Amino acid sequence: MNTRTIVTTLMVLVGLGLMVVSYVFLATPTCNTSIACSNPVMPFSAGIFVVGILIAFTSAIFYTVYKGSE
Amino acid sequence: MTTEAMPQREHTQDAALPQGIGRLTPGWIVFFAAMAAVTAIGMYAYFLQVTNGLIVTGMRGLGTMLGATWGLYVAYYVYFIGVSFAGITVAALIRIFRITKLEPVARIGELLTVVSLILGALAIMADLEKPWRAVVNLIQYGRPQSPFFGTFTMVIAGYLFASLIYLYVTSRRDAAILAEQPSRFQKLYRILAAGYEDTPSQRIIDRRATFWLALAIIPLLVIAHSTVGFVFGLQVGRPGWFGALQAPGFVVLAGVSGIGNLIMLAAIVRWATNTRDRITVDAFAWLAKLLLGLLITYLYFTVVEVLTVTYQAGEVERTLSDALLTGTYAWIFWGAIVSLISAAVLLIWQAVTRKWSIGLIFAAGALVNVGAVAKRYLIVVPSQTHAQLLPYPTGSYTPNWIEWAVVLGLFALGALMIGVFMKVFPIVPLEEAE
Repeated sequence: MNTRTIVTTLMVLVGLGLMVVSYVFLATPTCNTSIACSNPVMPFSAGIFVVGILIAFTSAIFYTVYKGSE
Repeated sequence: MTTEAMPQREHTQDAALPQGIGRLTPGWIVFFAAMAAVTAIGMYAYFLQVTNGLIVTGMRGLGTMLGATWGLYVAYYVYFIGVSFAGITVAALIRIFRITKLEPVARIGELLTVVSLILGALAIMADLEKPWRAVVNLIQYGRPQSPFFGTFTMVIAGYLFASLIYLYVTSRRDAAILAEQPSRFQKLYRILAAGYEDTPSQRIIDRRATFWLALAIIPLLVIAHSTVGFVFGLQVGRPGWFGALQAPGFVVLAGVSGIGNLIMLAAIVRWATNTRDRITVDAFAWLAKLLLGLLITYLYFTVVEVLTVTYQAGEVERTLSDALLTGTYAWIFWGAIVSLISAAVLLIWQAVTRKWSIGLIFAAGALVNVGAVAKRYLIVVPSQTHAQLLPYPTGSYTPNWIEWAVVLGLFALGALMIGVFMKVFPIVPLEEAE
């Protein structure tokens, strides 16, 4: 595996990881007993999900623009 | 060299650029001025709306105010998001299945997707009295139980960003080719090319990247369009919206309107950039066959939908279906059906005779878009005015000039974006010789 593949794979994994973690654990309320439960567990988790998407897709730019050997 | 001579030299250099890039013809200037004027009127209407509130529109509260809270803006939001479907789908299918005949329209599709997603985002912002609150609150409080979480994360953010990346990755080679010749855009092309070298290994890298991007984008867009359908389809208290067919119906109608738009835009580009030898009748025939398949599927969905609500529906569903089929909205409903069936007849006739005409395919593309706009309006509005579960009288909704001005302004803005792109970058991918 070369640098291009390693970094691209890492970016995709980090992006997907952020999406999964923010969706399943941070954005989804875990209770339904009070009005406070209507909010996500952690504020800005939707923003984290979006950041995950951005990182995952930016990997394609790195993959094509990176100057190292194939 | 004198400063007066420099623009003249740049102009001469631009003349060497392909597809009329950098050349401002009288026709293009008139087009630009007209679209800028319509955009300005739309912005003025939106300014009135933001300063005075949504009361200046034709929208009113549900129930006691006998109106509709979602009107023209939401209908066009759904429409614009739908249009975005085809561009990137076609572009992705071209890369995955290597459909060479369609390669010249790939970038048109990618651009159409990006522009229509921006317009979709602006349309939904126009629907909100205080749009900045939505931006902050969606990021801060968005949660997966709400379909709007998906609309915000998948459609507005993910889908748009993925499409931009796709457009960029597939445009680098052309930027590098254009960066080699002096022009007023040379710096821009150099930045976009980002050191691109047209070597066999770079081509392999590009092909691999676009293939995987395409593979990732196709499920993303199906999820994204389904999510827009879920915004309506999951509302159990709203007859006419609640139903399992909403999500697949949204995806299929998105394909219909999107490919219809792609056909029209490709025909206009072919004429405006004089690329008749590149965008061939065969490419249009491919798109027409794809459109026909999706159109027949959507017409089948429509028959199933109508049969379900008229066969043995509840009282409210019956009121709604009467309004659609024979009442207030009948002219829009039957207008949409006639448009869609006419387009299908045009396409079937050409498929049977195996004689494809760009003019007729263009007409089919225009007809399906008339039908799609009408269907989007019918999905959004009648369920609010004619399907109250609470004992409110029947409501009504008529969009006023503010809403029409904003929507027309959005169309003009989209046309401007595409028009400016065509004057800066080749909208049809360059051939080796170019």
